[in-house]
Amino acid sequence: MQRNAERPSTSTIVARGLTRTFGSKIALQPTDLDLGPGGVIGLLGPNGSGKSTLLRILVGLVRPDAGSAVVAGVTLVGDGTDIRRRCTYAPGELALYGELNGRDHLGWLLRGREGSSRARACAIADELGLPLRARVRTYSHGMKRQLLFAAALAPAVPVRILDEPTEGLDPTKRGQVLDLLAADARRGTTILLSSHHLGEVDRTCDRLVFLSAGAKIADETAESVARRARRLVRVAYAPEADFDSVERAFATMPEVRATREGTRFAVTLGTEDPRGFLAALAALPELPPPRAVEFGQLSLQELYRELYGVEGC
Amino acid sequence: MGRDLRFYALGALAYGIVLELLLVAAIVYWPEFEDNVEAIRDFMPGELKGALDRMTSGGVASYLHAQHFFKGCNTLGTLAAVIFAMGAVAGEAHRGTLEIWIARPVSRRQLLLERWTLGALAVCLPVFATTATVPYLLGTIEVEMQFGPLMLGAVHESLLLLVLYSIAFLWSCLATRIVGIAFGMLLLALLHFVAYLIPVVTHWSLYRLTDIDVFARIGATHSLDWRMCAPMIATSAILLGVSLRVFARRTP
Repeated sequence: MQRNAERPSTSTIVARGLTRTFGSKIALQPTDLDLGPGGVIGLLGPNGSGKSTLLRILVGLVRPDAGSAVVAGVTLVGDGTDIRRRCTYAPGELALYGELNGRDHLGWLLRGREGSSRARACAIADELGLPLRARVRTYSHGMKRQLLFAAALAPAVPVRILDEPTEGLDPTKRGQVLDLLAADARRGTTILLSSHHLGEVDRTCDRLVFLSAGAKIADETAESVARRARRLVRVAYAPEADFDSVERAFATMPEVRATREGTRFAVTLGTEDPRGFLAALAALPELPPPRAVEFGQLSLQELYRELYGVEGC
Repeated sequence: MGRDLRFYALGALAYGIVLELLLVAAIVYWPEFEDNVEAIRDFMPGELKGALDRMTSGGVASYLHAQHFFKGCNTLGTLAAVIFAMGAVAGEAHRGTLEIWIARPVSRRQLLLERWTLGALAVCLPVFATTATVPYLLGTIEVEMQFGPLMLGAVHESLLLLVLYSIAFLWSCLATRIVGIAFGMLLLALLHFVAYLIPVVTHWSLYRLTDIDVFARIGATHSLDWRMCAPMIATSAILLGVSLRVFARRTP
């Protein structure tokens, strides 16, 4: 195992200038990271933004064209086996060996891990309600995802890298998975997970890294993103409402920027407190009554468009 | 490893059983063949007449070399080599399981060497196992044959199969479409069989390396022909080395 002799960063996951192209397509532009120690870090971005490529590079499955990485104190060299001994990885792809039963598949996935990992993985799978005696070919999409998750959560390692661990899970299972991750992070593990749905993972993440078109466009705490979300109010109207008058009214309000999206408006406020805006809205009885008002919820698409000026999520 | 072991063991068992059945049929047919060889010769076209002459010139030994090594092992062995090799890496990519296979904390070098070794054993062990039964089977028709030269023949045959396996294995490390590998390798094998039958290009055929004459020489000298064996070993080793290099950089 090649240890990093000089560690200028105390972070568990350090990347400097990681770059990767596939043919003429730039999958990852020069990217720096300093993540951990500890906590759940969400790597967010739309499909094709470079999330999986970055995660695969960090665990040594894809070689970078340029740049370096140190994960859990181990420098990325060769095929990354040394790094994978110190971290677990759950791929986003769900292709598994259908002829194996769940228990045997967990054993197969945990080859090279300490002996107790298998029992822990089975316990996690039981907790998630997976039928370990059934063949994996009978598993649903979500069950396969949970099997990979159980294998990634079981070994005692300082870092876990999970590619879309909540994708395809129903809300209950998603909540269970995120609770298990949060509990693991409280024990000091650094968890880097990717998602293209902000609302799926934001409640668990301490920190969010945003990618777009292979470039890191933001890296901030979940709380600061939540603060930004609190500046967004969505106001929905009936289809027959006079949207022009509503738009004109919003334009006259100070520190308010409104964008029409079908029958609703996405209104960005200058403050985190929406009461002034709501009071101003209520003070205009000539406007049609809103059908719904949402506050504090931000989709990834809205975040990218409204806050970073990036389209195409 | 357990899953791989099961796959290769079952594959080798099936291939070994078919090989043994062909061998049993050939040995049971020997007395009748010996009695009717002239009649059979009259039905054969030119080049095959020569092969038949070589097959009968050395008695039961030449007949067995032709039936077991040249026909049985070359055809079934080539098929087994292609099947075991194409599934090794390209099969994983085809199923989409390449990523989980290499994502475990085991080096790619180790994973590939394990697969190559298991496949190589699955290709070669049935050749040795079935060849080892020849003296016993011949005993049932009251014919004797020495065990040692037969096993040397099995070694020689296995080395050619190993070359074919290594070619298909390298292809598997490079490709994703297993059907392409299967058709490509079977086309290659067919071309070499056809070349074997055409006198002006017969020396280009890989199957010349396992011709009846070669086994006859092994039987006569009780030793391997290293001028043939060494290049086959070297070719397999080089192909394995290139496979390791290619696989080390493969993207899931």
